Amino acid sequence: MKKIITLFLTLTFAFISAQESQQLNSYQQQFLNLSKLESGLTIGGYGEVTYNDYDSGPSELDVQRLVMLFAYKFDDRVSFITEVEYEHVKEVYIEQAWLNYALNDNTNLRAGLLLVPMGIVNEYHEPTTFNGVERPTLDNKIVPTTWREIGMGISGRFDNLNMRYQAYIMNGPLSYNGAHKLKGTNGLRSGRQKGAESVGSDANLATRLDYYGILGLRVGLSYYTGKTQTIDTSLTGSQVGLNMFGLDARYVKNNFSARYQYINANLSDTSQYNNASGKDLGSQMGGYYIEAAYNVLPIGARQRLDLFLRYEDLDQHKAVDGIEKNLAFHRKEWTFGASYHLSRGSVFKIDYQSKGTAVNNSDAKGQFNMGVGIFF
Amino acid sequence: MKKATFLILVYLLINSSFAFTQINKKADKEIKKVFSIDNYQLERAINQNFEDFLSKRLLSIISNNQKIGYAYLGTAPSQTKYFDYIVIFDDNLTIQSIKILVYREDYGGEIGSKRWLSQFIGKGLIERFKYRKNIAAISGATISVNSITDAVNDILSYLTSLKTQGVI
Repeated sequence: MKKIITLFLTLTFAFISAQESQQLNSYQQQFLNLSKLESGLTIGGYGEVTYNDYDSGPSELDVQRLVMLFAYKFDDRVSFITEVEYEHVKEVYIEQAWLNYALNDNTNLRAGLLLVPMGIVNEYHEPTTFNGVERPTLDNKIVPTTWREIGMGISGRFDNLNMRYQAYIMNGPLSYNGAHKLKGTNGLRSGRQKGAESVGSDANLATRLDYYGILGLRVGLSYYTGKTQTIDTSLTGSQVGLNMFGLDARYVKNNFSARYQYINANLSDTSQYNNASGKDLGSQMGGYYIEAAYNVLPIGARQRLDLFLRYEDLDQHKAVDGIEKNLAFHRKEWTFGASYHLSRGSVFKIDYQSKGTAVNNSDAKGQFNMGVGIFF
Repeated sequence: MKKATFLILVYLLINSSFAFTQINKKADKEIKKVFSIDNYQLERAINQNFEDFLSKRLLSIISNNQKIGYAYLGTAPSQTKYFDYIVIFDDNLTIQSIKILVYREDYGGEIGSKRWLSQFIGKGLIERFKYRKNIAAISGATISVNSITDAVNDILSYLTSLKTQGVI
């Protein structure tokens, strides 16, 4: 803050000096001197405590995640961003750790442990930014949120075009490290390396464009391409090719808000991979969700109470190569509930989910959820 | 991987040659554009002591010895840092332009969007802006959107009080 005041002093004095010569008194001078000592450290955090009550079996109560955000600004161009995460109380992860170097107004160079820009929730995963106690299933089974790997690339904005862009060269999911990691039921999820002594055999490319030139609407296009990682590239069936495409939209108008996300992933060489491993990885997976919400409190009130309804349809066996389709991997899920934002940055959530599959004559499973979320 | 790293480094070198636009250069360019003038002077719009001027930087824009408008230079919080902006008024205190001069973090930078900022233009002192009512939301930039909206409302209230007092 002080640094900014300095900046303004410089600026305004530059403007005014023609009119009058401004003398600083001693405390003003000290003020200026102090501003040069600014450390630039900011601390934030987010977290969620959740309660899942299933139709059958015991409930689960979990401090799902508690995350500390530390950012350090070295100067106007260079800053370092970190997210240190405790999951389920006992597991520690680093979710983000990257250096940002602003080359100019429109371009930033980034390197370190980065989020993969795919879909909405992977980048905006703080509990106050989405409806529902649990993240959408699509953002779990297809986009393995929180998906992050080590990489480098560029990110920036074009104010005149109302666009934001990102492009990173990144490490990819691990398919083989002596054991085969990927499987049909959760796609790439078990292959996430999270930057922990990760194996790198092939560089992957992750890109995203956001357009927000229509008031209230934000549209995103994501594209990810590459190969999964293996410790032995000569071993047949130890890696698969990966092309993932995402289209998403968020719309807000007065009390109404809505979002839509579509993801499609094509995987190549899955028959060799499945033959070598005995796994059941699909050759195409994807799906969509659509969600609408209405805030029943007046606009401008300190609090917000969003009632929402979401439908998801996703399939990890949209297409298979050499294996049988598992109909249980085709999920059709309804979620409805409320997000009660007690203030900016704190939310109480409650919802009910009905989770069905394409299996003939199968009953949908119900689940009741409650949770608190914070973000500051 | 090596080839990619090399390509990025080359890109970096090319890009670094385009230096950062200076904050006062940007403000200067915007004032010239709004009034279609090449020369102007700025002076303090009102008599203030130093501390007041630090928190409320209101300047008169003078061209050919005539006051043609006002520039307000402000600082407002984004998620973890602060950004700088300028609001330019004509002599009737109608907003002619609003521009983000420096935005220091990546998230929320969408408020720099020309289309979005144009919602404020042409509005006068009696206007008050309300997020999601007469100001559209930008998903993923809520904090900064609220921040600049609050800031513009504060400026309008401040100018209204100055006008009532007959100071400007």
